[in-house]
Amino acid sequence: MIEFLQVVLAGIVILGAVATAWSRDPFNKLICLSVLVGGVFPFIVAGGYLDVAIAVALITPITTIFVLAITGRNSDGA
Amino acid sequence: MAALIALYVCGLIALFAAIRTVVEPEPYRKLPYLNVMNFAIAGLIVLILAHPLSILAAAAYFVGSTLEANAIASTRAAVMEND
Amino acid sequence: MEPELVLGLAVLIIGALAAAFPRPKTYLSRIISLEIPAWGLLLIMLAYNETLALLTFIAVTAISTFVMVRVVERRTAP
Repeated sequence: MIEFLQVVLAGIVILGAVATAWSRDPFNKLICLSVLVGGVFPFIVAGGYLDVAIAVALITPITTIFVLAITGRNSDGA
Repeated sequence: MAALIALYVCGLIALFAAIRTVVEPEPYRKLPYLNVMNFAIAGLIVLILAHPLSILAAAAYFVGSTLEANAIASTRAAVMEND
Repeated sequence: MEPELVLGLAVLIIGALAAAFPRPKTYLSRIISLEIPAWGLLLIMLAYNETLALLTFIAVTAISTFVMVRVVERRTAP
């Protein structure tokens, strides 16, 4: 992986982590967490772990849907 | 060299869309920019590693991230409709 | 030193601080913030060559999120 891409993806990862910690709405937190995952995913592919990458791509939406099931229920507490 | 130009373009699109996703104040306009970033990352995956299985990883990421963004959007619409 | 290791350490520190002091002090925001150090730890494990450890870690993170969502949805008020 070239240097430019490492800098750009590191920027995306740090931006997603800080924004997830900073935002107050749970939906905004989940959206920023998706930005973080989008930055992490090319590092997994660049390492050559394609089976791990396929597992991550299929398991991450399931985790988000688990969290969304509790987010819609008591939105007043959040 | 042509593949390197495509790599630069996809990286810049991903960075721009990620910044717009984070700083966008309107909640409903965050999700199209998130989709733009997901498409740029899915294009980047194919260009990074030349392997026959990398197209499968890109397809899995494309399907998974689109499903995730649509699940967030539909749950948010249902919650807003209840209030 | 690999760039994944440095980036993973930075994300791990940000995520640990976010999970220790969540912005709204609710269970939901703590669960979402707890996923940030999981991705940081994934980036750190990417610097070492263990494919099976990565696959197991991804699966266990998803299952633990599912268990915590099931626990929290019984108790509504924080």
